[in-house]
Amino acid sequence: MIPPHAAKSLRISHVGLRGVVGSALTASHVLDFAAAFGTFLDPGGAVVVGRDPRSSGVMLREGLLSGLLACGHDVIDLGIAPTPVIQHSIRRRNAAGGVSIGASHNSAEWNALKFLGRDGTYLSTAEASELLDIYHLKKFSFVEWNHLGSVRSETLAIDRYLDDLAASYDFEALRKFRVLVDCCNGTSSLILRRANERFGAGFILINEKIEGVSFAHEPSTTRDAVALQLAPLMQPLGADAGFLFDVDSDRVALAAEDGTPVSEEMVLPLIADYLLPRGPGKLIITNISTTALLEEIAARHGGKVVRVPVGRQAAIDALSTYRPEQIALAGEGTGAVMMPQFRFVYDGIASMLAVLSMLHESGRTLSQTLAGYPKYSILKGQVPLVTQRIPALLMDLRERYASGCVNVIDGLRVDWPGRWFHVRVSQTEPIVRIICEQRGEPPRELFDALLEEVRSFA
Amino acid sequence: MPREHLLKIGVSGIRGVVGDFLTPGLACAFAQAFGTYVGAGRVVVGRDTRSSGAMLYHAAACGLLSTGCEVVDVGILPTPTIQIYVGATRARGGIALTASHNPPEYNALKLFNSEGLFFNSYERGELLDLYHQSDFRRAANDEIRRATADYASAPRMHIERVLRHVDVERIRRRRLRVALDAVNGAGSVMTPGFLRDTLGCELHAISIDPTKPFPRIAEPRPDTLGDLTELVRSSGAEVGFAQDPDGDRLAVADETGRVLDNDDVLALAVDAALRRLPGDVVVNLMTSSVIDEVAHAHGRRVYRTPVGEANVVEMMQAVKAVIGGEGSNGGIIFPAVHLCRDSYTGMAFLLERMAETGQSMSALAARLPRFYRKAGQVAYEHGRLGTLMQALEESFPDVETDRSDGLKLILPGAWIHVRASNTEPLLRMAAEARSEGEVEELYARVLGLFEQSG
Repeated sequence: MIPPHAAKSLRISHVGLRGVVGSALTASHVLDFAAAFGTFLDPGGAVVVGRDPRSSGVMLREGLLSGLLACGHDVIDLGIAPTPVIQHSIRRRNAAGGVSIGASHNSAEWNALKFLGRDGTYLSTAEASELLDIYHLKKFSFVEWNHLGSVRSETLAIDRYLDDLAASYDFEALRKFRVLVDCCNGTSSLILRRANERFGAGFILINEKIEGVSFAHEPSTTRDAVALQLAPLMQPLGADAGFLFDVDSDRVALAAEDGTPVSEEMVLPLIADYLLPRGPGKLIITNISTTALLEEIAARHGGKVVRVPVGRQAAIDALSTYRPEQIALAGEGTGAVMMPQFRFVYDGIASMLAVLSMLHESGRTLSQTLAGYPKYSILKGQVPLVTQRIPALLMDLRERYASGCVNVIDGLRVDWPGRWFHVRVSQTEPIVRIICEQRGEPPRELFDALLEEVRSFA
Repeated sequence: MPREHLLKIGVSGIRGVVGDFLTPGLACAFAQAFGTYVGAGRVVVGRDTRSSGAMLYHAAACGLLSTGCEVVDVGILPTPTIQIYVGATRARGGIALTASHNPPEYNALKLFNSEGLFFNSYERGELLDLYHQSDFRRAANDEIRRATADYASAPRMHIERVLRHVDVERIRRRRLRVALDAVNGAGSVMTPGFLRDTLGCELHAISIDPTKPFPRIAEPRPDTLGDLTELVRSSGAEVGFAQDPDGDRLAVADETGRVLDNDDVLALAVDAALRRLPGDVVVNLMTSSVIDEVAHAHGRRVYRTPVGEANVVEMMQAVKAVIGGEGSNGGIIFPAVHLCRDSYTGMAFLLERMAETGQSMSALAARLPRFYRKAGQVAYEHGRLGTLMQALEESFPDVETDRSDGLKLILPGAWIHVRASNTEPLLRMAAEARSEGEVEELYARVLGLFEQSG
């Protein structure tokens, strides 16, 4: 039984504000967070604001603008804009920071505020803690009536972002590909339609209509979502590669030219394989739930994998402990990848271009490329659980699987040669996630045993 | 020391100094209460030219959207124009972001019902309770509606309504030379076109840049309109008009540059209205007896109310008045256009009277019955009003009194009125009589009693 108060439909954390609009996330949360962010930022600097197409985004935008103006910040409003474009605009306009309004891969009834610092980077844990303290204290630096900020609209953000992408990727060469894209009714269509116009790119878009209330399907970048509409259309349309973006375009999932939906775990290894031989960086930063294939790919190129707890914040903090040129890329097994040339922001569009460039340079198809990797099978499951029992569960599992190599930085991960599992508690829902991977065939027996053990605590 | 009223939340809504007092959170919460009260539907939001207008617009829009209302942004417009648009488009309600004649650091939310009128006093109480209960409607994603903009329709609707009640051709033929001081307020976006293009006047205007701060004290009174006086003289204008920042109040200068008493302006408007339509008149307690004389000349009755536009409007609805207003505040309310203070109706009426009679503004004013008024205010501590009222009653035994708002003593051919300001820690005193000597004597007696009662 999950107690009702544990239904986490509102979450205020280092990552920002996220919740189901109306029942949990209200106007006053937005106002207070906007004022807290306006207080947190250096006085006087402009703030870039954009949103994804959810209907509630209009309400969140109004509240956000009001709080920022009241703290004396000018606002550069991009309207409906992908998160990577917002981050790009913060750098380009030399703004003090930015806010992306949008719940990314969550369903339509959710919304969120993601706070971004100077240069468009995510806030460090220390900065995010300060923001949260201001939010909770509710002592805001409102300016006098004659020092309030003003709002300007900005319409060239996507074009300037494309300029930068065109400097890193050869759009001319990539034109030869027929690329099918499932936009999930989100913001990626804005970029890709413009790329078609400007570069004659061959993006064929489905679910490209911007939608506020009902998305064609759950906008999550998973193999299951790819299998719904994108994968079945690959062969009939003769597409060379297929990509699916979440609503704010920071994540991507793949479909191969033969109509196979590709595991979301494969995006990071593919791009790692492409980037490791090309750049100075040799480190891959990822979490302990992501496929062990990464270690094999890193080894091929003399690279190394740094494993951190799950969640963007852990990756950001880990990044800050290295010099940028040491890092090849960072990301998760959810299709979220950051690359050094894009200043370490999750960018689904840049990730897609990296995969296409890889296919272009190798001359191989996506399925041929994937067939070149050793086979790994991953099983994922989840069990609702009373949070009180979690420590006992983890201790029990740790004793039971003492034969493996134990990692407790986030829940429990146990490794054996060619096999590992990870049991952890979701940050967004009151559930325990079980991830189990094996080189070769699926580790069905281990997975079932874990599932049963976790359930016995439920 | 009197407490400074930097924030006031009450049955009249929310009003305060922007910054640490009138915050975006408070404005949003008030809009949430309003949206919950009027129900999910279209709500019109407009504002005057105050620098805090945009910030408060976004806060109010956030609150309204969160309760499932659709927001129609009409931008910078005079308050009467916003009210007319609310009524004409049958919106659920409207919000004007304006602190009217208050200094620029203030702002406020004025709230209107689906007819574009003030809520009655009982409704205003309900709304305030709802605000304090904080139990607002919370729309889910699929219930949240859009924010749209319509900047063009409202001025057209307003001007069309005004023109139905005056002879436009007669005014246009006269090509009156008119001076205007719009205080860089909301009138800046509408009044020059109205006077020059619609009414065919030769316009000489100052302070018509809505992006600039108020260049003078925002309340249009004889002592704040030196620039208008100068403009009338330098341009040779036949009449001068001054508006407040939200374009509901009107002050008038004659061709010599002398600024008329606002009570006399109202009297001229009452006369103009009663020439057109049959019906009674409603004014507040502090308005001059000149109104009674003008109304009686037309065989009409005058009703008196406590000070405040909402009070006058409520009474005007109840008695189906033809015209009303608040003299000292420069407010002319002509329900045939809309039941709100409207400087545009006032300007049109006066210009038509000039065109119709061929008389100068000073001549029209000179024909009014002559009363002498003196009004002033003193800082005071709470609790002193009662002592003063008792002292006044003892000092003037056996006269008719009205205690509906402070104390009014009605003497033969004269009156005295004292009341506490609703918005500032001030005691307002006024006296009127038929001679200058008498009014000075009455005023001095009140002031003396105030000092003794301290």
